[in-house]
Amino acid sequence: MTTTQTASDNKGLKALEQKVLGSNLCAACGACLSLCPYLSSRKGRVVKLDNCNLDEGRCFAYCPRTEVDLDKIYSKIFGKGYEEIELGPVRKIMMARARDPIWRKKAQTGGVVSSLIDFALRKGIIQAGVLTPRDGDLLPQGKILKSRKGILSCAGSSYVSGPTLEALNRGPWKGEERIGIVGLPCQVLAVARMKTSTLEKKTPIDRVDLVIGLFCTWALDYKPFTAFLHERVGGHSIKKLNITPPPERILEVTAGGKLHQVPVDEIRSFIRPSCRVCLDMTAELSDISVGTVEGKEGWNTVIARTAVGEDLLKEAKKTGVIETRPLPKDNLDHLKEASLLKKRRAIDALNEKGGIEKAYFTLSANLVKRILSEAPENAK
Amino acid sequence: MFIPKDPFNIIIGGVGGQGNVLASQILGEMLVAQGYVITIGETYGASQRGGAVMSHLRISRKDQFSPLIPEGQCDLLVALEPVEGLRILDRYGNPRVMTLLNTRPIQPLDVISGNATYPEVSKVIAEIRGLSRRVWTLNATEVALEMGDPIFSNIVMLGALCGIGVLPISRQEFETVIKELLPSRTLDENLKAFDRGKETVEEVTKEK
Amino acid sequence: MSSISQNAPGKTVLLMGNEAIARGALEAGVKVCAAYPGNPSSEIIGGLAKVAEEMGLHVEWSINEKVALEVATAASFAGLRGLCAMKQNGLNVASDFLLNLNLSGCRGGLVLVVADDPAGVSSSNEEDSRIYAKLGDLPLFEPATFQEAKEMTRSAFELSEQLGLPVLIRSVTRVSHARGNVCLDELPKSSTKPRFENWLRFTPLPAIANHKLLHEKLNRAKEMAEKSPFNFYRGGEKPELLVVTSGSGWMYSLEALINLDVQDRIGVLKLGTTWPLPERFVLDHLKKADRILFVEEVDPFLENNVKELYAQNCVDLGLKTFFGKASKHIPDVGDLSPEIVTNAIQNLLQISYESRPADYSLRAHEIAAQIVPARMLGFCPGCPHRATYWAVKIALALDGRDGFVLGDIGCYSLGMGPSGFAQMRTLHAMGSGTGLACGFGQLNRFGLEQPVVAVCGDSTFYHAAMPALANAYYNGSNFLLLLLDNSATAMTGFQPHPGTGETATGGEAPVIDLRAICKVFGAHVEVVDPFDVASTVETILRLLEDKKGVKVLIMKRQCALVSAKHQKRLYRVAVEEERCLGETCGCNRLCTRVFKCPGLMWDRQTGKACIDEAICTGCGVCSEICPASAIRKEKA
Repeated sequence: MTTTQTASDNKGLKALEQKVLGSNLCAACGACLSLCPYLSSRKGRVVKLDNCNLDEGRCFAYCPRTEVDLDKIYSKIFGKGYEEIELGPVRKIMMARARDPIWRKKAQTGGVVSSLIDFALRKGIIQAGVLTPRDGDLLPQGKILKSRKGILSCAGSSYVSGPTLEALNRGPWKGEERIGIVGLPCQVLAVARMKTSTLEKKTPIDRVDLVIGLFCTWALDYKPFTAFLHERVGGHSIKKLNITPPPERILEVTAGGKLHQVPVDEIRSFIRPSCRVCLDMTAELSDISVGTVEGKEGWNTVIARTAVGEDLLKEAKKTGVIETRPLPKDNLDHLKEASLLKKRRAIDALNEKGGIEKAYFTLSANLVKRILSEAPENAK
Repeated sequence: MFIPKDPFNIIIGGVGGQGNVLASQILGEMLVAQGYVITIGETYGASQRGGAVMSHLRISRKDQFSPLIPEGQCDLLVALEPVEGLRILDRYGNPRVMTLLNTRPIQPLDVISGNATYPEVSKVIAEIRGLSRRVWTLNATEVALEMGDPIFSNIVMLGALCGIGVLPISRQEFETVIKELLPSRTLDENLKAFDRGKETVEEVTKEK
Repeated sequence: MSSISQNAPGKTVLLMGNEAIARGALEAGVKVCAAYPGNPSSEIIGGLAKVAEEMGLHVEWSINEKVALEVATAASFAGLRGLCAMKQNGLNVASDFLLNLNLSGCRGGLVLVVADDPAGVSSSNEEDSRIYAKLGDLPLFEPATFQEAKEMTRSAFELSEQLGLPVLIRSVTRVSHARGNVCLDELPKSSTKPRFENWLRFTPLPAIANHKLLHEKLNRAKEMAEKSPFNFYRGGEKPELLVVTSGSGWMYSLEALINLDVQDRIGVLKLGTTWPLPERFVLDHLKKADRILFVEEVDPFLENNVKELYAQNCVDLGLKTFFGKASKHIPDVGDLSPEIVTNAIQNLLQISYESRPADYSLRAHEIAAQIVPARMLGFCPGCPHRATYWAVKIALALDGRDGFVLGDIGCYSLGMGPSGFAQMRTLHAMGSGTGLACGFGQLNRFGLEQPVVAVCGDSTFYHAAMPALANAYYNGSNFLLLLLDNSATAMTGFQPHPGTGETATGGEAPVIDLRAICKVFGAHVEVVDPFDVASTVETILRLLEDKKGVKVLIMKRQCALVSAKHQKRLYRVAVEEERCLGETCGCNRLCTRVFKCPGLMWDRQTGKACIDEAICTGCGVCSEICPASAIRKEKA
C-alpha cells in the first residue's frame, strides 16, 4: 500500500504532518490521537512518533484543520446550508444559570455546562461524558466521567486547551454507552468531521448524542505557558487561573498559596497559532453552546442549535436544574460583533499567509464577503 | 572415495544464526580425519546479527589453500536459505557448480518492514537450477521444527550433504566428530537430525 | 572442538588460527593469559580459558586491554611466560603501557597478539596495527598459515626471552578466524616457580639510555630474522615479477598464481618477521627482479619499509619499479581477497583471465539484482536493545526538544541503523558515548536546550565508561546515561565480565554492582526492564526533564542469545488473525513495518502479521506494542 500519489493528494498522516503539525496549525483537540500508534501527545502538544504511508486515514479526516468544507458539514449536521455567519444556527438564545449552588460555586460563571451534563447523566440521556479535567499542574486531559465528583473536577476555566477527544477514541468503552462531549469550537468541529466522515468508524462516534460547545476566543499552548508561569511563581504548582473582565484584563494566578497578577498582554504570545485562524467563537456545530454574559456575573449565554439541544434545555428548566432569562439586546449585539470579529481576524491572518484560497477550510466567496463587510473594523 | 577436483571448493551459506560455522567445522573435522588438507574461512561477529554469512571450505590432498574461495570458483554450494543461495551463486557460481538447497525462507528486515519483496520460492529454486549443474532440495527447517527446534536445521543439511554422495563422508565420521565436538546429551538428537536430512533430500536437477 | 590441550604430538588437527596461537602458547609453556574480548581475537584467551584448569594456567578476562597487558607482563616480570591478546582497538588502549614496556624491558617470555579486522567487518574502524612495532621498536611476526600461527607463537616466546622484550604477533581475520590443518607438537612438562627479583628495576627511565638499549635489542632481532624459517622464497632465479607478501597475502598470492598459471613466471618472497626486516635477506631477493608487487593488509607497512630499505641501497640494486598500494594495484583500503591479487598480477603481466564464463556472470548478476533482497544486520529477535531504542525513540519524540543519543561499541552499536530506529548518532571508541555526553552536558550555558542521552553496554561500562561518569559528577555535567545491562559481552561471544558473576574459567566471581558504582559516582540511578515498554518510556521522559546532574537508567534484561543458551524462553507468542488490523488505518503494520523484529512476518495473502516460529524467541515485546492487542503471549 505504498503511495504513488503526490504529497498534495495524500489524505493521511503524511499530509497531516505537512499541513497541520509541521505548519503550526495544530489545535491539540485530540481527534487524531488514540486512533493509531503513530500520533501521541505530551503536555498539550501532538507528536508524531513514526511515519505512516497510507494514502488516506482518519487522522486527516477528523482533523479540524484539514480540508474542511464548511458548507457541506453544516448541511450534514443541520440539514441546511451555512448562512448564519454571526453566531451559527440558532434555535433559541437566552441567559441561564444553574439553580443548585454546588454547580455555581466551582464554575467559572453560571455552572450551566456542568449542571446540564449532570442532568443528562441522571436522566439516562447519556451514560458517560467526555470531559476535560486538569491534573495538579493544570494540564487538561480528556477523561470519561460519569459521576458528580468527576463533573465538578472539570468545572472552571483554564484558558489552556488539551487533547480532549483522545478520551473518546481511547475509551475504554463497554459498547452501549450513549455519550456526551463538552468541547471547544475546534473540538466540536472535529466531532462533526468524525460524524460525517465516510471512512470506517472504529470509535464510538455514532453513540455521541450530545455535544455541548464552549465559547472561545483563543486558547493557550500549555508547554510554554506553564514554563512562563512557573518562572513567575517560583516553581509551585498552578492551582487556579482567572482573567478579570475588561478594561483591566489581568491574569490572576493562584500558586504556592499566593495570588500573582500578570497582565494578559504578556501571555498573548502563548496563544496557539491555530487559534488565530479559527473562525468559530461560539462552537457553532454543537447541540448547545455556552459562554459568559458580559457585565452579568454568574450568568451564562446559552444557545440551543438542534432539537436535541432545545429539548434538553426545556427539560432542564422544567425540572429546575437551570433558570433562564431573555438575553438583553445589547448583549446579543455585542456577542454577534465579537463572533464576527473573530471570523474577520481569521480571514485577515489567512490572507497574510498566502490567501484564503490556501486556507484549510472552504467557505463560499459570498459568505467571506459578508464577514468582511459586517465585522467591525479595527481588527487587532 | 576421492574429491571430484583439487582443490574442491564448498560454500556453506545462509543467514547469521543458522549455524553455518558449526556445520563447516563439523564437515572440516570429518575430512581432516581422513587426511585431507582443509582450509575454512568465515565471517564472524556482526554478521551473526541476521546478516548474510558464508563459510568457505577448501578440500585438497596436498596444499593449504586460502580461506577465501576466488570468485566464480565454488564447486558445491550448501545454501541454508533460498535467496542467500542466489546471492552466493551471483558471486561464486559457475556452470559446473552443484547446489544443495534448504527451501525454507528467512525474511530479511527489508522484507519484513515492507521495503522489499521476497520472491516466490519456486522462482528462486528455478533460477538456482538454471545456474547450477546439479541441484538437490529439502526443507531442512521444517524437518528441524518437526523435531522440536529449528536449531537442528544445519545438522539436517549435513545429513543431506552426506546423502547426495558427492563428498567422501559417512555417518560414522559424523558420529565420531559430533561426540568430540558437542555435549553428549545432544548426541541422539543430532544423529536423528542427520538421518532425517539424508532421507529427505531430493535431487531435482540431475547431471546435465 | 579439537582440544587445543590434547597431548598428541605429531597429530594433525583442524584448528582455527586463534586456536593455533593458543596451542603455540601452550607448547611454549605459557602460564598467565589475559585479554579483553575483541573480534577477531577473542578465541585465543577464550580457548585457553577452557583448558586452564587442565593445563594449570591462570586465564582471565581483564576489565580492559591495558590491564590485560599489565597482568600478562607481571607474569613475565616474575619469570613466567605471559600471553595477552586483543583486537586493533585494544592495542590502542594498551599502547600507553606497551610504549613504556618496550623501554623497561621484561623477563619471562611475553607475547602480545593483536588481531586486526581489515575492512572493519566487526569493528568501528579499520586499522593496521603493525605500526606499533615500528613505533615501539618491537619485533613483529605475521602468521601466513595456521601452522605458522602455532610455530610463530612458540618462537615469539623464545625470542622475547632472549631479548627481554615483548614480541608482537599480528594476525588478521582471515587467519585468526579461518581453520586449517595444524600438526601438533609436544606440550612441556616442567614449570618454573615465579619470583620477582628485587634487585631488578623495570622502568623506561633513564629514557635515552634505555632507548639506546632497545635499539641494540632490535638489531639483535634483525640478525636472528636473517635466519628465520618464517621468511622464505618460492620461485625461479629471474622472475618477471617479484611478489613481496606477508600474512594473509601469502595464501591469496599462491591462489592467484595457480589460477593464472604463472607459477614459473612469478617469484613470491614471503616474510614472516616483518619488523625488523631481515635486511640482507630482503635485498638479496629484491635483486632477482626489476618489478616488485607488494601484497598485504591493510596499510603499505611492508611496502614502505622495503622501499626505505631499497632507498638506502639503491646504488647497489639499480632501478626498480614498485607496485602495491601506492600505485593502486592493490586497494589502499579494505581487506584482501584472491581476486584483488589476481587482478593486480593480471594487470602487471597483461594476462587475460576469466574465472568463469562472462555470460554466466551476466546472467547471475541480472537475476540477483532483480529478485534478491538486501539482508542488513539487525538486532536478534528478542534483543533487549530493540526494545530500549523503541522506548528511546518514543520518549525523545514526546519530549519534543530534539534530544540525541551518543553511543559506543557493542551490539547496541546497531542502534545507528534501521534495526535500532536510527537513534544512535555517534560511535567511536569504548566509552566514548559517555565521554561525549560529559561535554554536551556542559553546553547548556551556551544555549544548548536539547536533552543529551548516552548509551553504554555493561561490559563497555566497566572497560572505559567509569572514568567518564566520575568526570561527569566531578565537573557537573547534565545528561541521561542508559546503561544497557544484558549481562554479557555479547557482540564478541558472550564472555563474562565483572557484572556477570563468573570468571573466564567458569568459576564464581564477585559481582561488581553497576547500580552501586553509579551511585558512588554521584549519579541518580534507576533500574527498568526494557521489555516493559510503557514503564521505560515514562521513566526516560521523567529523567529527561530533570535538569540537574547525571542520571543513570539501567536497562536490565538478559541478552536473547544468552537466554537461549540457558533455554530460558519467556513466552509463546502468536497472532490472533481476527484482531490483526494489518495495513488498515489504525495500525498499518506497526510490528513488521516499523518495529521490524525478525521474528515477525507479513503474510501478503492473508494481509495479517504472523510469527516466524523458526526465529521468534518469545520476548513478548510485540505483544506489548500491538495497537489492536492482536498478539497474544502466554508464559512458556
